[in-house]
Amino acid sequence: MNLAYLLHRLGTLLLVLVGVSLVTFAIVPLLPGSPVRVTLGVQATPESVAALERQMGLDRPLAVQYVDWIGGIVLRGDFGDSLISRQPIAGEVRRRVPATLTLAVAALLVGLAIALPMGFLSALAPGSRRDLGVSVLSQIGVSVPDFWMGILLILLFAETLGWLPSSGYRPLAEGFGPWARHLVLPAVTVGIISGSIMTRFVRSALLEVLGQDYVRTARAKGVPRPIVLRKHVLRNAAIPIVTIVGLQMATLLSAVVVVEIIFAWPGLGQLALTATLQRDYPALQAAVLLSAVAFTVINLLTDLSYALLDPRVAYA
Amino acid sequence: MTRILTLALTLLLALTGLAAAQTRGGTLVAAWAQEPVGLDPRITSAMSSYQVLENVLDTLIILDADQNLVPSLAESWTVADDGLTVTFDLRDGVKFSNGKDLTAADVVTVFERILDPETGSGNAWRLAAVDAVTAPDAGTVVFALNAPSPSLLGHLASIKALGIFDPAGIADGSVNARPVGTGPFMIADYQPGTRVLLERNPYYWEEGLPYLDAVDIRIIGDETVRRTALVTGDIDWAFAVPPQSVEELSARDDVVVDAAAAGAYHYLGVNTREGPLADPRVRQAIAFAINRDNVAAAGEFGNAAVTQEPIPATSSWSFGYGPYGYDPDRARELLAEAGYVDGFEIEIIPTTFIEATIRAAQVIQADLAAVGIRTEIRTLEWAEWLEEQGTGNYDTYVCSWNGLVDPDDYYYAQHRTGEVFNFTGYSNASVDELLDQARVIADPAERRPLYEEINRAIVDDAPYVYLYNPLQPHAYAPDVEGFQARADQALRFVRTWLDR
Repeated sequence: MNLAYLLHRLGTLLLVLVGVSLVTFAIVPLLPGSPVRVTLGVQATPESVAALERQMGLDRPLAVQYVDWIGGIVLRGDFGDSLISRQPIAGEVRRRVPATLTLAVAALLVGLAIALPMGFLSALAPGSRRDLGVSVLSQIGVSVPDFWMGILLILLFAETLGWLPSSGYRPLAEGFGPWARHLVLPAVTVGIISGSIMTRFVRSALLEVLGQDYVRTARAKGVPRPIVLRKHVLRNAAIPIVTIVGLQMATLLSAVVVVEIIFAWPGLGQLALTATLQRDYPALQAAVLLSAVAFTVINLLTDLSYALLDPRVAYA
Repeated sequence: MTRILTLALTLLLALTGLAAAQTRGGTLVAAWAQEPVGLDPRITSAMSSYQVLENVLDTLIILDADQNLVPSLAESWTVADDGLTVTFDLRDGVKFSNGKDLTAADVVTVFERILDPETGSGNAWRLAAVDAVTAPDAGTVVFALNAPSPSLLGHLASIKALGIFDPAGIADGSVNARPVGTGPFMIADYQPGTRVLLERNPYYWEEGLPYLDAVDIRIIGDETVRRTALVTGDIDWAFAVPPQSVEELSARDDVVVDAAAAGAYHYLGVNTREGPLADPRVRQAIAFAINRDNVAAAGEFGNAAVTQEPIPATSSWSFGYGPYGYDPDRARELLAEAGYVDGFEIEIIPTTFIEATIRAAQVIQADLAAVGIRTEIRTLEWAEWLEEQGTGNYDTYVCSWNGLVDPDDYYYAQHRTGEVFNFTGYSNASVDELLDQARVIADPAERRPLYEEINRAIVDDAPYVYLYNPLQPHAYAPDVEGFQARADQALRFVRTWLDR
C-alpha cells in the first residue's frame, strides 16, 4: 500500500463529505414543520414565530446559512448550538459517541459470536438437518423487529427474572459492573439481528471456498481436514467475511437507532431521531455528517485490511 | 378505657414514626416520557419543559392544590379598584440558587424581556393587558394594565414560563439552557434527550424544604420500558403512565397510581372557513354523531370524563351544558337539512406526539362513517402537525388544551375572531363582544352569566367538538411520599420525600 493511494482515498472521502453536507443542508429544511413551531407549540403567534426565526438565523438565505455553518465546522470545529436545547452540538456529539461505539462494537462481538460458529456448522454439512436448523434460526433472527425483541428481552431479563436493568447507560468510568450490566440487553438485541445476517454470509463464503479445486486437491493428497480448514478455507474466506463485518459495523452505527430509543441509550441515533422530530437542523446535519464520516472511514479501513489478509492485493 | 388508651398510644407512635421518617435526603429518580423542548423560560411552551421549570423557578404568586391563588415570591398583592394596577409586595430575603438576592428590579427585567417582541416568547400573549412593569422600591413590583384583567393573576400563578430567573443569565447566555431561579431545586446537569439533574437549592426560602437532595430526571420514551423500569425499581416515579397500564398498575401493591382530573380537554377542531364544515349544522351533526364514551375508552382507556364543553365538571366554572347526546339519527337529519344527504369527505389529523389522538381519530372515523361522512386519517408527527394546524391546512384535527385556569383561558384566544390561537377560523360577533366584556370583570358572580352564554354559543356553533377531560395519572414507588397529582398538572417535588 502506498501513500498516494491513501491520499487519493482521503481526498475522495473529503469530496463525499462536502457532497453529503450540501445535500443534507438542502434537504433538511424541506421537512414540513420548523424548530420555531416545535419550540412554541400550539402557542405560536405570528410575531413570536418571526422573532424566533430571526434569533435562530432561519430568515437568512440558505446559502448564507450554509457558509456560516460549514465555516464554523472547518475553521473552529464548531457545529453550532442546538436550536432547541441551546447547547453546543459538538459537546452533545462528544458525549454520545462513546455510547454508540460501545453499543455497536458490543453488538458486533455478539453478532460474530453467533455468526462464526453457526456459519461453520451449516457450511460443513450443507443440506443437512443442522444446516436447515441454522437457516431457520437465522431467518427468524433477521425477521424479528429489533424493538419487539428489545422489549421481550427487557420483560424477561429485567422484569420477570430481575437480572439486568431495564434501560439506561452507564459510562465505563462509573465502574465495569454497572457499565456491563446496562450494556448486555441492548447489545444482545442488536447482536442477534446482526449475527443472523452475518451467519448467512459466513456460510456462503465458506461454502464457496470449500468447493474450490485447491481444497479438493489438498484433501486428496491427504492433508487432514482441520489443517485444510485452517490454512486454506479460513484464510480464503476471510476477505468476504471481513467485508461483511466492515459493512455490518458501518450499518450498526445507524441500525442501533431504534434500540437506543427503546433502551433510553444516549447515543447518536437517539440524537438523530430527536433532532429530526424537533427539526433541530444543525443537530440533524451534524448527525448525518458524522454517520457519513463513520461509514466512509470504516469502508476505507475494510479495504485496507484486504492487503493484510491477502498478499496478492496491492493498492496503487 | 384501656383499649382507647392503647389506641391513642398506637396512634401517637404512628405519628411520631411518620415525623421521624420524614427526613431529608435522597435522590428521586423520575422518568419523563418526553424530553424538555429547551429550558429557556422566555420561549419554551412545552409541557415537558414547564414540568422541569416547575421545580426550578418561582412565580410571584402560585396556585395551591385547590387552585386558589396563594403567595409565593410575592407575600401579598393588591388589585386597584379600577383594576388597572396590580401591586406585588415581594418576600424579604429570597435568594437565587446562585446566592444572589432577588430584587424587584430583577422581576421587572424578567417581565420586560418576556414582553419584548424580539424575545419571541410563546407566552407574551398572556401579558397582553400589561402596559408596564415597574419597581418603585426594592421590595415592590407594580403592573400597570391597559384594561382590567382578572385572568392575569391566574397566568402569573400557573405558567412557569412566567417564573422569575436571574436576569444575569441573559448576558452570559446561561438562561438558554440552565436558567437560575429561586425555586426548591436548581439545574445541575442538562443532557438533552437523556437527563436533567435537579439538585437541592441551598438558598431556598421555605425553611427546611425541599426534603430531597436531588431529582434525577431520565427520559424514557417507550411506554413499556418506562413501566418496566418502575416496577423493577430502576426508577421511583413516572411522568405520564400510559393510560392502558393504569388498571394493571393500580392493582399492584408495589406501585402507587395517583390521578387527578386535569384542567385540560381533548377536542376535535373543525376548520370553519369553507366547504361543508363552514355550515354550523354540519358541525353539530358531527357533534351528535360521535360516541364520546367510545372515544374516551379508546383514547384514554376510560381514564377520562366525557364532556361536551371545555371546563371540567370538577371546576367551579363548569356549566354542565351538553346538548349533544350520541344521536346518529339527529346527525343524519342535520346533514340532510344542510344539503348533504350523501355525506362528503374530510380529513382528520391526529398527531403521534399525543397517542390518544390517534386512537380517538379512529373511533371518530367509524362514527362519522355511520352518518355518511367519509374521513381519511392523516397521522402526523408533531412538527408537521403544528405547521398544518397553525397555517389552517386541515379539515379537522384532534388535540388537547392543557393547564387552563381562568374561564378566559378556555375561550378567548381560541375562539375570538382573529385571535392568535383561533385556528378554526371561527367568528361570531356576539361571542366576541361577550368575551371582551367578560375578561375585564373582576367579580366572579358578575362574570359567570357572561361565560355561561359564551359557553353555550360556542358549544352550539361547534368550532370545537369537545370530547373528554382526561385524568392525569402518575405512578410511583410506594415509598415516595408527599407527592400530589394536581388539576393544573404541575409536578412539584418540593414536599416529596423518600420513606426509606
